[in-house]
Amino acid sequence: MTSLPLVGFLALSGALLAVGVFGILTRRNFILLLIAIEIAMNATILNFVYFGAFSPSPAVTLMGQSIAVVLIGFAATEVAVGLAIVLALNRVRRSINVAEANELRL
Amino acid sequence: MDVFSGLFGVAYLIPLLMVASFVVVGLAGKRLPRLEWGGWVAVGFAGAAMVLGVLIGAGEMLHPGTWTNVQYTWFHLPGNGTGPTPNGVRLVVGTLVDPISALLLVVVTVVGFLVLLYSIGYMHHDRGLPRYYAELSLFLAAMTGVVLANNLLEFFVFWELVGVCSYFLIGFYYEKPSAASAAKEAFLVTRVGDVMFLLGIFLYFSAFATQGPAGTGGWAASGFVFAHGSTPFLAGASANSTTLTVAGIMILGGAAGKSAQFPLHVWLPDAMEGPTTVSALIHAATMVAAGVYLLAVTSVFIGFTSFDDLLIVAIGGFTAFYAATMAVVHPDIKRVIAYSTISQLGYMVLAVGAGFAMVGLFHLFTHAFFKALLFLAAGSVIHAVGTQDLFKMGGLRKPMRLTATAFAIGGLALAGIPPFAGFWSKDDILSAVYSQLGAHPAYWPFFLLAFAGVFLTAYYIFRAWFLAFSGDHPRDPTLPHAHEGPWVMQVPLVVLSAFAVGAGLFVFWPSFQGLLFHGLGAAGIPPTYGVTDLTLSAASVALAGAGILLAWRLWGNGRVFVLAESSPAQPIRRLLLNRYYFKAGYDWVGARGLYTVARAADFFDRYVIDGTVHGFERAFAYTSDRMRRIQSGVVSDYAAYVIAGLVAVFLLLLVVAPYLVARLGGT
Amino acid sequence: MNWEELAFLALAVVALVTGVGALLVRELVHTILWIAVFFVDLSAIYFLLAAPFLGVLQLGVYAGAVTVLLLFGIMVTRKRIFSREAATGIGAVPLALAAVTFIFFVSMVGEFPQGNLPVSGIDPTLLSEGLFGAFGPWLLLLGLVMLGAVAGAIYLVREGRE
Repeated sequence: MTSLPLVGFLALSGALLAVGVFGILTRRNFILLLIAIEIAMNATILNFVYFGAFSPSPAVTLMGQSIAVVLIGFAATEVAVGLAIVLALNRVRRSINVAEANELRL
Repeated sequence: MDVFSGLFGVAYLIPLLMVASFVVVGLAGKRLPRLEWGGWVAVGFAGAAMVLGVLIGAGEMLHPGTWTNVQYTWFHLPGNGTGPTPNGVRLVVGTLVDPISALLLVVVTVVGFLVLLYSIGYMHHDRGLPRYYAELSLFLAAMTGVVLANNLLEFFVFWELVGVCSYFLIGFYYEKPSAASAAKEAFLVTRVGDVMFLLGIFLYFSAFATQGPAGTGGWAASGFVFAHGSTPFLAGASANSTTLTVAGIMILGGAAGKSAQFPLHVWLPDAMEGPTTVSALIHAATMVAAGVYLLAVTSVFIGFTSFDDLLIVAIGGFTAFYAATMAVVHPDIKRVIAYSTISQLGYMVLAVGAGFAMVGLFHLFTHAFFKALLFLAAGSVIHAVGTQDLFKMGGLRKPMRLTATAFAIGGLALAGIPPFAGFWSKDDILSAVYSQLGAHPAYWPFFLLAFAGVFLTAYYIFRAWFLAFSGDHPRDPTLPHAHEGPWVMQVPLVVLSAFAVGAGLFVFWPSFQGLLFHGLGAAGIPPTYGVTDLTLSAASVALAGAGILLAWRLWGNGRVFVLAESSPAQPIRRLLLNRYYFKAGYDWVGARGLYTVARAADFFDRYVIDGTVHGFERAFAYTSDRMRRIQSGVVSDYAAYVIAGLVAVFLLLLVVAPYLVARLGGT
Repeated sequence: MNWEELAFLALAVVALVTGVGALLVRELVHTILWIAVFFVDLSAIYFLLAAPFLGVLQLGVYAGAVTVLLLFGIMVTRKRIFSREAATGIGAVPLALAAVTFIFFVSMVGEFPQGNLPVSGIDPTLLSEGLFGAFGPWLLLLGLVMLGAVAGAIYLVREGRE
């Protein structure tokens, strides 16, 4: 039976979320934006696994891992849609710079 | 009974026939090979309607005092036993055939048929012929609807329809500005009356919603239906008499609007802008009589309070004289007859007000024939010479012998010379009112005015006759050579002349007299028909004879009487020619008074209401213009806002919430 | 300090470095390399937390599929694969927002038990039973969302569309 510090794991996912947020805010390339979103997303999924793993109850473990599985699926879906957007944007704008996709307004 | 009882039940066929005519002529009239064919179709329908109408009239004479009510419940709201209408509210449409409506039905269908026939000759130049016949058919449908209506609401609906047709037909030559404005004037002035009429209906409804003669259950339950010739509503009503008085005044207002009584008389002379046939049918014989009919029906079925009666007498008597004075000086042949129509309607109103509704309707009956005759004869003249100015005519007696005779017969009937129709009915009115003078001394001045009107009537109508027909040749040599119209124009003249001679004598026919007696039901004073007061009759005939004599002295044999410029009567003549400045006064009120109010309202609307609205609009536009700058459209900016919001939540949870918990010591 | 803690520390450091590196590196294709390492690293963390199924899933979906997808996206949208326009500056405000996020998380850490805790795993059989049993509706929902996403993606990249 291994034993590990929960606090350290939480700090790790907090730091990864901060990295993702930073990336979302600063990157102008759409693909990098997607990557930053994936980083933040993974930080979130990690949390579910932690609390499952560190809980003594098998039911909680099961729940945490199940949610993680579903979330990984959602994240993958999101990447697929995001890439479709990238391709469409590239065709219309000849560029995937987020700053040029400025039509999301009245 | 016999065939007639079935006939009374299908009286609704008369309006339906005319509606069918309206639809057929209106839709197909332009596609027929010749435009007159549409006219003949309308004449055919009107002929069928006339046969039905005359048969119904005959049936009522053979079975005096029958009341046949056929009705269909339009909708019924059941009551719950409480509230102002415990038995619920019912609205019905139906036909009521009674002596009054039978009398009117005969007038409307016979005159309508004759005028339609005459129109084929008179209007044959006109391109708008299908429109004319369609509108005239619709008018006849609406007018017979008014006559047959068995309740006040239905009455009002047809009444408005009649007004609309009148508007269309006055404005028939709509490309002529004066005709268009006359149509508008007629519509607007009668609108004043119509609004009053509607208010009157509401007031009566509130008074009779639950109360009424026994067996009717009140108006709310019976659907405004006129009681079947029993006692009038007013007799059994314990309603507030102020309400009833005001309601009566409102009904009088409606009638005054339609029947061109003072002070809503201004539209009728201007309505002569329409074709002469329209003037004959609508603005002399039928529609304008609807106001009198309304008063008569109201007085028979509902009853007026004594104050209302006095008011009606006052308006009728005054109008009878007042309108006659204006006819004395007018140079336009149609307008002279139009003023005489107003004046004669005044006599009818006077009779209704004095409590003799059926006497008034008898005059309506005879008047319809001789007034239609006068108009159609005038139409023949206008058709022949192309002008309406009496002072350009003259000497038309020789080329237009039939027309001259017809006009003379109409004039004699109008003037009240025995044995022509007008004498019997007008004399009945005067003697009936005279019989009430003892009980109601306040009627005296109006009786005297009406009596004086007899002289003026005889004078002005024979002034017109002498101006048009006497002498050797037209005063204006440029007039085309006159000739009689085609047979379709002559036949109505002959038939109407016969009626103008004989319609008054109907009163000695017991069946007809029974019709008149039973029309009143249980209401009012049973009048005596025929000559009752020989002195009075002799005086009125003498007055009329004097009027004719004066007209002959001044205008006979082609003479033209010119009032000297220095004559003290000049201001009176100007006053009369300017129609007592009444129209100018209305125009002034409209132009100055209403325009000022409208300007003020416009200012308020523009600067206060719109100002407020636009102020808000500008404030929001300014704010949103500022706000929209944060909407860059760049995706990552929006992401930044999302995250900033997240961070704000963090700060709230980490800093503000602990601080508040610490300060408030919450749990 | 046992070897598991050491492993965790190492994996955490690698995760942070590769995550930051993926965002800061100037070559877009290098970004893909960094993020691939990041995903593999996370997969190792799952193994460490006694969740082997998730670890495999992470390897398959992220390190495999998502990485290839991203690479594919770069290939399609770039004329030259190696391009240096990826990186942009490091703004002060984004940095501050990221820092606040981190501080919030760290400040929450105090709420949880300190020190080492035992790690409990779960049999993958049990996990699959749970996924197709109690969590079946979630899986169904995921499937529906994926279906919608596929339809939407096809619509977006359809040819001949303006």
